Amino acid sequence: MVTIDPAALRERIVQTRPTVVKDTRGYTVFRVANAVVLVLVMAVMLYPFVNIVAQSFSREGYINAGQVNLVPRGFNIETYQTVMADGMFWTNYKNTVLYTTVATAIAMVLTTTFAYAIAKQHLRGRTFFIGVAVFTMFFNGGLIPNYVLINALGFTNTLWAIVLPNAISVFNLLVMKSFFENLPSELEEAAAIDGLSTYGTLLRIVLPLSKAVIATMILFYAVTFWNSWFSAFLYLDKAELFPVTVYLRNLIAGASTANSVSGAVASDESTMQIASNIKSVTMVLTVLPIICLYPFVQKYFVSGVMLGAVKG
Amino acid sequence: MTTMRRRAIGGLTAGVLVLSLAACGGGGDGKAEQSPEENADTTDLGMVGAMADYGVGDTFVATEPVEFSLLYRDHPNYPLNEDWLFFSSVAERNNVTFDITSAPLSDWAQRRSLLIGAGDAPSIIPVTYTPDEQPFVASGAILPVSDYLDLMPNFTDKVERWGLEPELETLRQEDGKFYLLPGLLEQLRPDYTLAMRTDVLTELGLEAPATWDEFAETLTAMKEAHPELAYVYSDRWKGDALLSFAAPAFGTSAGWGYGAGLTWDDDAGEFVYAGATEEYRELVGYFAGLVKDGLMDPESFTQEDDQAVQKLANSQSFAISTNAQELIGNRTTLTESLGAGSFELAKIRVPSGPAGDLISGSRMESGIMISADAAESENFVAMMQFVDWLYFSDEGLEFARWGVEGETFDRAADGTRVLAADVDFLGQNPEGTKNLQVDFGFFNGVFMLAHGSTNDLVQTHISEEEAGWRESMADKERTEVPPPYPFSELEREEASLYQTALTDYAKQNTLAFITGQRDLSEWDAYVAELEGQNLSAYLEVVNGAQQRYAEANG
Repeated sequence: MVTIDPAALRERIVQTRPTVVKDTRGYTVFRVANAVVLVLVMAVMLYPFVNIVAQSFSREGYINAGQVNLVPRGFNIETYQTVMADGMFWTNYKNTVLYTTVATAIAMVLTTTFAYAIAKQHLRGRTFFIGVAVFTMFFNGGLIPNYVLINALGFTNTLWAIVLPNAISVFNLLVMKSFFENLPSELEEAAAIDGLSTYGTLLRIVLPLSKAVIATMILFYAVTFWNSWFSAFLYLDKAELFPVTVYLRNLIAGASTANSVSGAVASDESTMQIASNIKSVTMVLTVLPIICLYPFVQKYFVSGVMLGAVKG
Repeated sequence: MTTMRRRAIGGLTAGVLVLSLAACGGGGDGKAEQSPEENADTTDLGMVGAMADYGVGDTFVATEPVEFSLLYRDHPNYPLNEDWLFFSSVAERNNVTFDITSAPLSDWAQRRSLLIGAGDAPSIIPVTYTPDEQPFVASGAILPVSDYLDLMPNFTDKVERWGLEPELETLRQEDGKFYLLPGLLEQLRPDYTLAMRTDVLTELGLEAPATWDEFAETLTAMKEAHPELAYVYSDRWKGDALLSFAAPAFGTSAGWGYGAGLTWDDDAGEFVYAGATEEYRELVGYFAGLVKDGLMDPESFTQEDDQAVQKLANSQSFAISTNAQELIGNRTTLTESLGAGSFELAKIRVPSGPAGDLISGSRMESGIMISADAAESENFVAMMQFVDWLYFSDEGLEFARWGVEGETFDRAADGTRVLAADVDFLGQNPEGTKNLQVDFGFFNGVFMLAHGSTNDLVQTHISEEEAGWRESMADKERTEVPPPYPFSELEREEASLYQTALTDYAKQNTLAFITGQRDLSEWDAYVAELEGQNLSAYLEVVNGAQQRYAEANG
């Protein structure tokens, strides 16, 4: 029987308690300087964004006269109303959401499975498959052959023309591959001994351990597909199929090219309003969902991209 | 391991290259090599739906319903709507419907090249400005329309009546044919000029300047009255608009109008390089003088447009280059910064200069290309007749611009057109609830070739102020249209290499001379430097092409 002396115990507890060390002067200076620099950096990053938001709520004249900084001047939501009252805007917005979701899902499935396979050293023809992927980073068929191919496959004016041609980003593939290469192989061996198949290992062991990289990849893909307009422009002919990026691009083009009539009888107030303020409105509208997505993914973000960067 | 990998990648590369070459070869066998109809034997052409007897003054009505494929440029200000009155009237009156491939305005040019390049282009390809058709000529993908002009009585009639042959000549390619049906203007339609603060002019008791010398005097007077200002004139568009509308009065071309940098010397019967001429020197010298005297802001040639407008808006400058649309925008900006009624801003008549009261420009507007495949269609003749009716007949032009009489517009007793009671367009009829463009599809750039039209129609839908300004410009003398010099493929490439370098050099030095970075006494040295940029070789190619063409075509 071991007897516990309460006094000795208390003493041990006190000893193990972290001692509060007073910061040295140098360290305090460093921290203050650090905070100041970071706040400045943040202001520099944030300013253009706040400025865009302010412009999107300002009147044309003030923007042209360069008088809008952080606060909207001549408060105006006409452009928002004009853009949002257009049914096509919402149709196209829906398309964007659909394209982004489907494309990201397809891209994730293909990238993950491809990366997992080529991460295995014992895979036969591994270098060949990596070569195939890497080759496309440097060479491609070119615009017109691509168009002819997609057309011949019957993909034009369908969802597939948007989601399939760019389903695998080789850069993302390589990041994932290095991540998988760094997973301890013992885990997978243990899973195999316990009777899991290859797919079982991937689904139940590897993927749950790869949340960081998966979240990062989802973000990368989603942002790319969200912003993409080029494949839509190439392969789609109908306005009701366009993603919102093409709609907004077109809107800006309409506002910045000369109006159809020079010397009009009177200025069309709503059209004039649109001209320079519309750029900021479109930027705010397109960037909003991505900004909403960021906070949720951000915690994985740093660890995700860094993982696999250093090979141990 | 490394060797193996290298070998694997090497093999792979070779394999893919072979595959892609094979693919290219396969593509090349397609449309690109089909030569267009040679010298168009019009008797073999598809006559389905065509009118046997179609001429000037006839309304085109297809003898049976026909459908034409059309590449449509979708403008965001009036998004495509297939229920437009435009389409239903065309179906009803002309028996014509369209199979539309729509492309957004933002990427119109790219989309058009892609479709033509892929051999997938619709038959009618509108909204094309010369020389955008040139890259497609060699591939044979677009139709040499000049071979089919006998199908287009209205087009040929207008060209003849308005004396447009010399301008049309400039469209001809090396084979002597042209590939673009341009929109035709009865009269030049100038738009760019200087806008001045007329309230400041009135305050100083001055008239709007009529010559460039008077303009300098006006600026001097303004500067004297407002010594607090650094400059009284700050321009936009990096000076390119200014130089382009000022140059004709000095007998040269510059800025946006610089083009290939060529001036036709009628006496010598050859082209000379514009940037090296005495006239150009005079133009540059004039603006250098304005800058030197502290009248014109040297930043005019470097600043962004917004900055120039800001200076105008804050009364730091009293003049700026403008066009009718920008003028309205400038006024809105000035109203917000200075308050309504506290300023007057108006276009002035483009001043005349040492070479006379001249204006230059083209009477050809945006035009239409026809896909080469269309010539094999059974509806080909009907399509050409329809294109002729819609884009070149008086009736078609009015229809595309104003719509249907009794529905979108009415005719007053004196023959002028007025919008119908419920139709508005550009604020002409603020009571109207429907818009001529958005709700009916008229005044649509796809169907009216910009403003290629009769004077009578071009003068409609514009403000009295603008009509007045155009009226004041109407008595300017037009500069001569230079003769054509169509290049061969090889020459085009060679000339374009020289031209790019020369234009860059000339523009760079124009800027340096005007802003005073380089003294005008160095002009001869500059001309010698141009020689170093293959000036003679360039002129040789151009003059060679001009002579060859002149000999071959009389």
